Amino acid sequence: MGVSETYERGRRLLVERPFLALVVVVGVLLFLDLLYKLGTGAVGIATVVGHVWNGTVIGLIIGLAGIGLSLTYSILGFANFSHGDYLTAGAFSGWATSYLVAGLGSSADLAALFLLTASPRAVGVTIASKPLAVFLGLGVAVVFTVVLALFLDRVVYEPMRDAGGISLLIASIGVALAIRYAVVFVYSTDIRGLTAGDVPRSRLTIVDGAVVIDAHEVALVVGAVALMLGVHLLLQRTTLGKAMRAMADNKDLARVTGIPTERVITATWIIGAALAGSAGYLIALKRGAMNYNLGWVLLLLIFAAVILGGIGSVYGAILGGVAIGVVNNLSLVWIPSDFARVAAFLIMILILLFRPEGIYGGVKTA
Amino acid sequence: MSDATDATDATDATDATDATDATDAADATDGAAADRTVGGETAVAGDDAPLLETRDLDAGYGDLQILDGVDMYVDDGEYVTIVGPNGAGKSTVMKSVFGLTVHMGGEVIFDGADITDRKPEQIIHEGLSYVPQNENIFGTLTVEENLEMGAYILDEVPQDQMRAIYDRFPILEERETQKAGTLSGGQQQMLAMGRALMLDPKLLMLDEPSAGLAPDLVDDMFDRIDEINDAGTSILMVEQNAKEALRRCDRGYVLVQGQNRFENTGDALLDNEEVRREFLGG
Repeated sequence: MGVSETYERGRRLLVERPFLALVVVVGVLLFLDLLYKLGTGAVGIATVVGHVWNGTVIGLIIGLAGIGLSLTYSILGFANFSHGDYLTAGAFSGWATSYLVAGLGSSADLAALFLLTASPRAVGVTIASKPLAVFLGLGVAVVFTVVLALFLDRVVYEPMRDAGGISLLIASIGVALAIRYAVVFVYSTDIRGLTAGDVPRSRLTIVDGAVVIDAHEVALVVGAVALMLGVHLLLQRTTLGKAMRAMADNKDLARVTGIPTERVITATWIIGAALAGSAGYLIALKRGAMNYNLGWVLLLLIFAAVILGGIGSVYGAILGGVAIGVVNNLSLVWIPSDFARVAAFLIMILILLFRPEGIYGGVKTA
Repeated sequence: MSDATDATDATDATDATDATDATDAADATDGAAADRTVGGETAVAGDDAPLLETRDLDAGYGDLQILDGVDMYVDDGEYVTIVGPNGAGKSTVMKSVFGLTVHMGGEVIFDGADITDRKPEQIIHEGLSYVPQNENIFGTLTVEENLEMGAYILDEVPQDQMRAIYDRFPILEERETQKAGTLSGGQQQMLAMGRALMLDPKLLMLDEPSAGLAPDLVDDMFDRIDEINDAGTSILMVEQNAKEALRRCDRGYVLVQGQNRFENTGDALLDNEEVRREFLGG
């Protein structure tokens, strides 16, 4: 009975959705191949664990940024293409602060510190050597990005509040370019090295090798999880959070109920930008370098994560972020790192084809 | 406009000759004050100003005008129904009162204050609550959160009012932690009313509360509206289920093409030959 049912389901899948069946087969083959590679020792277990860890770290950042994108999508009703550049703005403002704080009293002059042209080795920022500089930098990244987002809302998005999603989307592309080239104007297009010195790290021995986990990654994971928990509590427990969910659910009813929609929109920008700013700062901390393209390049992955999780859902964004991060890194088992993005976007396209509402589809959480 | 006046006048005349009930008599005597408008003429309740009054209200959406000189009023404690064919602008009257349409002329007075150009989030502070016809609950929020949102403008959730709503609709308390979207149609309608009652409004506006309900639930819904009215809340209601609505209410309006065609007590409208033939299906 059970076997014939399973067989019947499989047959129907094959006939009605051959492409989906093919995708499933490829997925299963890849999984078997991974097991085979692990079994024969072609790929070490530690390597795979390392990919998963790295993927999770990156994924949490993507998820953090995705929350903001999802919130603005569900409450303001448009896909904000400038969201990635909020990360860039946060990263540059935050790191300029970190350098100023860390480099005060060193040989580097203020301008060089602010412009991040001072030698990373001379400034020597790591979370262990200069924790104050890192915390202040993170704080400024948050504040600066929030102020920027509120300013842009006032001058660009508020006058267009009743415009359609497409007009707003196009406006946001303009905003994205404006932010990016404002950063280029100040910081040029050069890559800036940021951290230098010994980052405390520990080696976790796993069966056939070791996974290295450094303090910056731990800081990032702790920070990201704490912020996500904060967003969760805000949305579920506070009146403001409930009002945000109510407005995401039904704007017209929210107005009729007396929810001050403009105030909720302001709160949405504040939360989304704060998360974006901190995500930008933290990913630069992990990578130890950045340039003006930091956020723009990440934006596509953020979109992939948000779509994967179900656009508009905060929890979907987190889940999607981690999934995209892990897939992105795990694909390194088969393909060179230059092509890792291909895997992430392939997943996104497949989700769009077969489950366009996303993993969390239909469950609008915010 | 002149058509409407004629029609209404004609109706009044017929009713007056009928002169079977007190309201008609009052209408007739009021009519003696020659210069009063159609809306003014209907001030049955005496010298007290009505709770809600629209004067010569023109409104619509975008460039499209729907309401054409609507004069209506609701007295304190009164239960008023608006009936009429599809597209007559029944819902638009409520939306216009609540600041959700483009205002094109005339005025809306609530409890002595001119609320014509106010936004919904301001109007709700005046003691006026509105239950839209569709999507009138937050489906992804829990039942309790829906009610909390109803009291958003207050600093804290009024527990006694919440208690009163749970007592009125016990099923809501049972489903307190459930997502509102998972409730049945009837329960969702109760939740929508509960949400609107959280501020203990002076006037509750209900847009087609019986729409989409199973026939055996419709009566129950009307009973509950009666109870809310008996507890002192004035009601302004739009209904497709015109006969039942007119039977229940104190007074009714028949709206046709954005204009008042008839206005009288519910029973008188039910007895009116023309209203019956044209709008109540015989």
